[in-house]
Amino acid sequence: MPVYYLEIIVVVLGLVMLMADAFVKLEDKRNIAWFAVLVLSVVFLLLFKVSWPESTEGSPFWKFYDAEKGSRGFSLFFKGIAVLTTIIVLIMSAEFRGVLLKYTAKPEDGAHPQSGLSEFFTLPVFACAGLMWMASANNLASIFVSLEAVTITFYILVAYMRRNVGSLEAGVKYLILGALSTGFLVYGFTWLFGVTGTMDLAGIKEQLALDSVNVTAALFAFALIIVALGFKVGAAPFQNWIPDVYQGAPTPITAFLSVASKAAGFIVLLRISGCFFGSGDLSEKVGAVFVVLAILTLLFGNLAALPQTNFKRLLAYSSIAHAGFLLMALASPITLVADGKEPPLLDTSIGVIAFYLGAYLLMTLLAFLVMTAVRNQQEDDSLEGYAGLAKRSPFLAFSLLVSMASLAGVPLTAGFFGKFFVFKLAIQNGACGWLIAAGVIGAAAGFYYYFKVIASMFWNAPAEGNDGPIPVSMPAKVVMVLLIIAIFAVGIVPNLILGLIK
Amino acid sequence: MPSSLEILVFLPILAALAIGFGAPARFTAIGAAIINLGIGLVAAKSYNVNIEGGAVFQLESSRVLLESPKLALAFGVDGMSLILMLLTVIVTLAAVWASPAESKIKGSPKLYYISSLLIAAGALGAFLSTDLFFLYAFHELALIPTFLMIGMYGHGKNRKRTAWTITIYLGVGSLILLAGLIALFVNIGQNDTFSIAEMIVRAQDSETMIPEATQSWIYLLLLVGFGVLVSLFPFHSWAPDAYADAPTPISMLHAGVLKKFGLYGLIRIAGPMLPAGAEKWMNLVLVLLLGNIIILGLVTIAQKRLDRMIGMSSVMHMGYVFLGVVAGGTIGISGAVLLMFAHGVSIALLFALAGSLRERFGSLEFDKLGGGLGKLVPKLGLLFGFAAFASIGLPGFANFAAEVMIFFGAFQPMEANAPLSFLQWAAIISLWGVVISAVYMLRAFRKIFKGPLTTTETPKDMSWNERVPALLLIVSLMLVGFYPEILLKYLRPALESLTLIGS
Amino acid sequence: METELTLNHFLFVSGLLFAIGLAGVLLRRNLIVIFMCLELMLSAANLSLVAFSRFNTTDGVPNYDGQVLLFFIITVAAAEVAVGLAIIVALFRSRETTDVSDVTSMKG
Repeated sequence: MPVYYLEIIVVVLGLVMLMADAFVKLEDKRNIAWFAVLVLSVVFLLLFKVSWPESTEGSPFWKFYDAEKGSRGFSLFFKGIAVLTTIIVLIMSAEFRGVLLKYTAKPEDGAHPQSGLSEFFTLPVFACAGLMWMASANNLASIFVSLEAVTITFYILVAYMRRNVGSLEAGVKYLILGALSTGFLVYGFTWLFGVTGTMDLAGIKEQLALDSVNVTAALFAFALIIVALGFKVGAAPFQNWIPDVYQGAPTPITAFLSVASKAAGFIVLLRISGCFFGSGDLSEKVGAVFVVLAILTLLFGNLAALPQTNFKRLLAYSSIAHAGFLLMALASPITLVADGKEPPLLDTSIGVIAFYLGAYLLMTLLAFLVMTAVRNQQEDDSLEGYAGLAKRSPFLAFSLLVSMASLAGVPLTAGFFGKFFVFKLAIQNGACGWLIAAGVIGAAAGFYYYFKVIASMFWNAPAEGNDGPIPVSMPAKVVMVLLIIAIFAVGIVPNLILGLIK
Repeated sequence: MPSSLEILVFLPILAALAIGFGAPARFTAIGAAIINLGIGLVAAKSYNVNIEGGAVFQLESSRVLLESPKLALAFGVDGMSLILMLLTVIVTLAAVWASPAESKIKGSPKLYYISSLLIAAGALGAFLSTDLFFLYAFHELALIPTFLMIGMYGHGKNRKRTAWTITIYLGVGSLILLAGLIALFVNIGQNDTFSIAEMIVRAQDSETMIPEATQSWIYLLLLVGFGVLVSLFPFHSWAPDAYADAPTPISMLHAGVLKKFGLYGLIRIAGPMLPAGAEKWMNLVLVLLLGNIIILGLVTIAQKRLDRMIGMSSVMHMGYVFLGVVAGGTIGISGAVLLMFAHGVSIALLFALAGSLRERFGSLEFDKLGGGLGKLVPKLGLLFGFAAFASIGLPGFANFAAEVMIFFGAFQPMEANAPLSFLQWAAIISLWGVVISAVYMLRAFRKIFKGPLTTTETPKDMSWNERVPALLLIVSLMLVGFYPEILLKYLRPALESLTLIGS
Repeated sequence: METELTLNHFLFVSGLLFAIGLAGVLLRRNLIVIFMCLELMLSAANLSLVAFSRFNTTDGVPNYDGQVLLFFIITVAAAEVAVGLAIIVALFRSRETTDVSDVTSMKG
């Protein structure tokens, strides 16, 4: 089956869901979500079965959609991340519906008691299609369109709880800063096109490697693009929208943003910066920019997370911190093997970043699943609200313990391998000492704020009013157990993720 | 089919899982610890002590997890890891047995036993791994259980602060260590292997040897990293509080077993892989270990609480092991390894007995305990006396044999009529440490158990649940004390091979 | 005196537009104005795209890739405006304001 069928299936699924909501009478609109989960699971399995064209010469389609041998594995891997995240986000959304409906439907005005629910399930599916396309986009136009497809969907989703002040505010902030970053991105693309005269990434790379290239203009384009993508992935100093938007958005959407959107941002960053790493003169300067960004992001994300008392906000800062580690992998210059052989996966930035994102997906989604379950019972997202969780629900507490341990990078969990490979890459490529020092400081600070969550859950007694048991629905429970198993399994056998990148 | 060493490492983890799913906590934990002791003894029995040089690890098993770089879940023993493995299984059984009955634990008894088992599994995994990555990774398995246990079940008002201190200290220490280990992997492992045996061979091959300057900074990273874990002066300040405030089994496991990981790492990894680095920083290490022995020894005398005093003394005794490591040579290293065993058992015994005292009298402050308790609880007093003598290093206990070897080791490289080197001066100064430990141990013993009785409480003497672990520990101490060969024979082939000393 | 219109002229105007747009986003407080400024930035990009496309010729034929992207940008901008204005309207309904300095309930 040709690989682009997957995106088509996902888009058609979205349309079918919209139709189903309009024309099929459903008692429980969650059925739409379950249907989507089912289809997406099939899509996920189909990822292992797709075929690629023998030759892409002359076909206009393949100018927009990457089919290069070297990057096929990564394309599929990032598509897999998008699909898996969407599946889990949909399950989370179904769990979250009680909270959501409180701020959307108004039955007293005669609206359907579940009105607005099915669109909340449908939009992530469209975003998923955009993310999948982005994983393969190899042309400035297709990168732009797929990125915007995702971003505009997220504008709606973030502001979805329109009767909730936080959600609306988050939506407005995300809208303004997202549109601003789009402006930078487009302007940067324009200049890149002006400098190289082509929209193809491969062509751009070729042109930039020439001696005749106008280095100043190319760097100007790069600067504009890096500002835009810095916004998308949450790199300091372009990170300041993240805490507010993450805190205000509906919890499943926060999860979606922090995993899928970040993964997509990084693959675009990798592809575009790959063009600049072709020539010696440019790559040196571009590398220096990444080093500075990585150091700033590592320090800001980790240190600003220390005093946080709101759990959701804490995870927002943690997501910045992890962007820092990912940038650290990007900033470590890519090794080139002399005899022209493909370097081992773990010696390349993209291999390490792919692994890190895979591990990050597991642990972050686990944390958000727990948060969704807790949020169903109480308004309170603060850390005090999680006090005594070990007594209220040992299962949720254990899940969150595993997730926090993995995010902090405790060995034998997936998160440790992620950090380990990043540090290994940095040290092995002789990255600058300050970068490594910033990484160590960041990781050490991480121990503190992640363990703060653990301490709150296990050491303290439940707060007054927030001390009842917390029910968890069956699908959510199954996903959590699977995620826990995956975190430990990957923490011992990293090949489980690395093997998928082929 | 899993190998015996794999079972040894994973049995406690499985037992912890079983407890999590509802198996009776104490019964399962003690059962697993007994089986582990059995497996450990069988493994020791099947260890071939007569192999001439060359043979590096025995009872090996390996499961390759990653081809490039080569990463394997590999276990194996040589003499040193075998002795530390025996130490771990013995202390684990004692610690689990000495844990309070389920009904007496406030909070979840499951978590209590699960934590102890996970710490034991982490220590076993670290000592038995022959893969650099897992050597590090298993040690960290103890991090979260320790954090939870001290915060939830610890003693005293400051337990939360203590839990934070130990976690941050050890977390930062292990990050520095990690940076050093990755540097080792990149420079010596040449990015393609984590196998300790292969790395040692490469480090000592003149073709693949790394330059002295590189060795020097990597060694410094390792020294700080391992130094924090083993509470080397001046990175020790987390230890006494942590041991004093932690629940008894955690103190026993941490001070008795887990702390030895830092020394183990220095002997196994830093020594043979970075000989030039070790040489370069030798004087610094000597100064620091004197800090441990003399400065911290004097601080120990000033302690007003028994548990803090024991904690301090355990930090202080690490200085002797360092002295053995620095002295090197067959005798020095043997002494160091033997002292790790002896110290681990004796400190676990002291903490167990201190725990029994605390349970009876509510406090461990010398002033509140009063005196004359020997009349109330004679068996406890007797056992405490034994433990104190062992800790000081009286003949008949393993500690004595080990310390003597270390001091001899320090003088071994000396030539006739040559002036004393710094190493030998350090050894001479360290001898005074024995006097210091005699002072505080005997003083504590006299204050608590001798003299007129002041307390009005009338507690029972030791129950069997307290006696069994204490006797287990004392018997092991005396067995090794009277007949050190029982352990030393394991060290011989390892000392002759490359793993410990190098060519 | 007659001068020929060169690429640089277009780029200068487009740069000016971009700068005005950016300054507006950073300095103005009214959400609607900010949003208009954002559109200005996109127009700046459009202008330079057309210019690059027109002046980058092979055999006298402009490089139409740039003009294709232009249409994508216009379409996407329209979608963005549709969604954006809806959100701003929703905010105005609940808060009776379009001033960004009032949108600050979250801190930390």
